[in-house]
Amino acid sequence: MEIGIIGVGNILLRDEGVGPKVAEILKKNYKFEPEIEIIDGGTLGLDLLVFIERFKKIIIIDVVDFQKEPGYTDVLIGEEIPPYLKTRFSMHHVGIQDLLEVAKLIGILPEEVVVVGIQPEVVEMGLDLSETITGKINELIKRVVNILEKWGVKCALQSRQK
Amino acid sequence: MARLVIDPVTRIEGHLRVEATVNGGKVKDAWSSCTMWRGMEIVLKGKDPRDAWAYTQRACGVCTTVHAIASVRAVEDAIGAKIPDNARILRNIIMANQNVQDHVIHFYHLHALDWVDVTSALKADPKKTSELAKKISSWPKNSETYFKAIQDKVKAFVESGQLGIFSNGYWGHSAYKLPPEANLLAVAHYLEALDWQREVIKIQALLGAKNPHPQTFVVGGQSTPVDPESQNALNADSIAFMLKYADMALEFVEKVYIPDLLAVASFYKDWAGYGGFSNFLACGDWPDASGKMYLPGGVIKNKNLAKIEPLDHKKFKEYITHSWYKYSQGDVGLHPWEGETTPNYTGPKPPYEYLNVDGKYSWGKAIRYEDLPMEVGPLARMLVAYGLGHKDVKEVVDMVLKKLGVGPEALFSTLGRTAARGIETLLMAKKTKDYIFELAANMGKGDTKIADTDKWDPKTWPKECKGVGFHEAPRGCLAHFVVIKDGKIANYQMVVPSTWNLSPRDHKGQRGPVEEALVGTPVADSKLPLELLRTIHSYDPCMACGMHMIEVREE
Repeated sequence: MEIGIIGVGNILLRDEGVGPKVAEILKKNYKFEPEIEIIDGGTLGLDLLVFIERFKKIIIIDVVDFQKEPGYTDVLIGEEIPPYLKTRFSMHHVGIQDLLEVAKLIGILPEEVVVVGIQPEVVEMGLDLSETITGKINELIKRVVNILEKWGVKCALQSRQK
Repeated sequence: MARLVIDPVTRIEGHLRVEATVNGGKVKDAWSSCTMWRGMEIVLKGKDPRDAWAYTQRACGVCTTVHAIASVRAVEDAIGAKIPDNARILRNIIMANQNVQDHVIHFYHLHALDWVDVTSALKADPKKTSELAKKISSWPKNSETYFKAIQDKVKAFVESGQLGIFSNGYWGHSAYKLPPEANLLAVAHYLEALDWQREVIKIQALLGAKNPHPQTFVVGGQSTPVDPESQNALNADSIAFMLKYADMALEFVEKVYIPDLLAVASFYKDWAGYGGFSNFLACGDWPDASGKMYLPGGVIKNKNLAKIEPLDHKKFKEYITHSWYKYSQGDVGLHPWEGETTPNYTGPKPPYEYLNVDGKYSWGKAIRYEDLPMEVGPLARMLVAYGLGHKDVKEVVDMVLKKLGVGPEALFSTLGRTAARGIETLLMAKKTKDYIFELAANMGKGDTKIADTDKWDPKTWPKECKGVGFHEAPRGCLAHFVVIKDGKIANYQMVVPSTWNLSPRDHKGQRGPVEEALVGTPVADSKLPLELLRTIHSYDPCMACGMHMIEVREE
């Protein structure tokens, strides 16, 4: 598998958990051709090295401080990413910054790194996303799917049986 | 008098901030302010206790496995589940492997650059570096060409202007004492450690303990089946796989980490005189079949290694005199089972210059044992074991002391703390293999039981029960406290290693361990307080807090 999707963030901190949640939805509801790997990266930093080194391209889904209204979404590519990691909503942002820097230093940074980000509304103890962010999940998924399609991946909704 | 502010990660609630006053080139007083993981009960209240571990493993950015283990143990303790022998061994393997990986990463990635000057490494002579490497170890990557290549790689990285992980060092600081060759050697191993750790955690992946999050735990045991005959279980191939990586781990520790530690320490022996503390607490871990812990628990007061007291968690109390909380009963000490988490922030509105350290100044509670602050972590574990005459521990500790030419009193210091971590890594790297062999032997006997299901059904539980789950996490004694009522979680409190080590002052005004350890530390340049970082990092505060970013302000 050359393409990986990593949802990062802390699911115990409400909106911060949007990354892992979107990753879970993509995994459950979509079928990708060729297959891609979808990882719930949680709050891990360097422990993700072992996962990202296999990919040529990765999409990181995360909360980002765009200095915009809650729910604003955008896509950051390559060199655009580091400045946005300066605002850290919680510990995991330190981990992601370290992860990307160390990966670069030891030469395993994927050729393409893209962040699909969203401005959070509430980052506090709790399991539920705010309504604003919940309402933006489809937009985040659409952004991820657009990138994948540009990369030549066929994305199809799976029928949700069971 | 200058007051130094070390504020590694602004805008994060979960960070560590240290303020210190300096007088005559020495730290006169210090305050550590941090956020412990508070309010877990808000998330867990009313939830099924059997699911708690899946939530608690998310509590910290780095330590997923350790919280999963402490959590299943707490619930098992509460409901009286007894885990089968295979589960005990599997957990021992996971914990030992985690310990080794975490300590190596801490040393090279978070602590080494307090002692190693990366810019000096760029000036080193690769030939002399090769000679030094051959002198201290038989590790094969030691040629002149190899070190030249490393030097070029780091040079290119530095020249690209994106220093990244190296950007916050105090390069060229007068407190750096290593010759350029030793610096280059350490930088080479810093890079090797990054490659090594990716390999070594494959044991965790195989056991389902990192995928990237642990999947394998279950209240009552483990969920990854053990069956030598099955392709879909941990079998003979898995044993061989684990041994391969356990050997790789041990070899790196023996031939790289320990020689580096000794080589670096020999240039910094004065650090045996700074950064020490006097009380230590270990909960003990790595149980054998009889329940005896490989690393024993115990309490040391006032550096007295001749009298190690047994640990009794009922003597834990958390105070909030200087913490941003209020208790319903006022300024008292509460045992974690009775723990309360009502925030009461009285601090300045960020961004601010200084905290009001006379009042409340930390999100961390001041946990005390019989009203005394306690240091936890590898040094506490090694001292407790050493004091109890533990054969393996004594052997390695004495070897290290002899090689450095110092006595046991040197252990009560920043140098001792950093050395203890290496000593423990060597012991646990060896034990990892023992546990893998033990698992193989059990499988050979046809024992495939991995979980106790007798207590799975909440109907078998008492109407009300409470439990504690201890684990010697790499950073120190970790304890989860759970209260269960009618099959649901009624209270849940986590006492993490940093709660002990980074605690603020208590109701009696006693400093926490890091605060106390910093007093007396020499500071060559109050604008570049590298020396403080050495002691702070020697406690292995979590990754985020381990960053090299510092803000300094004059009073």
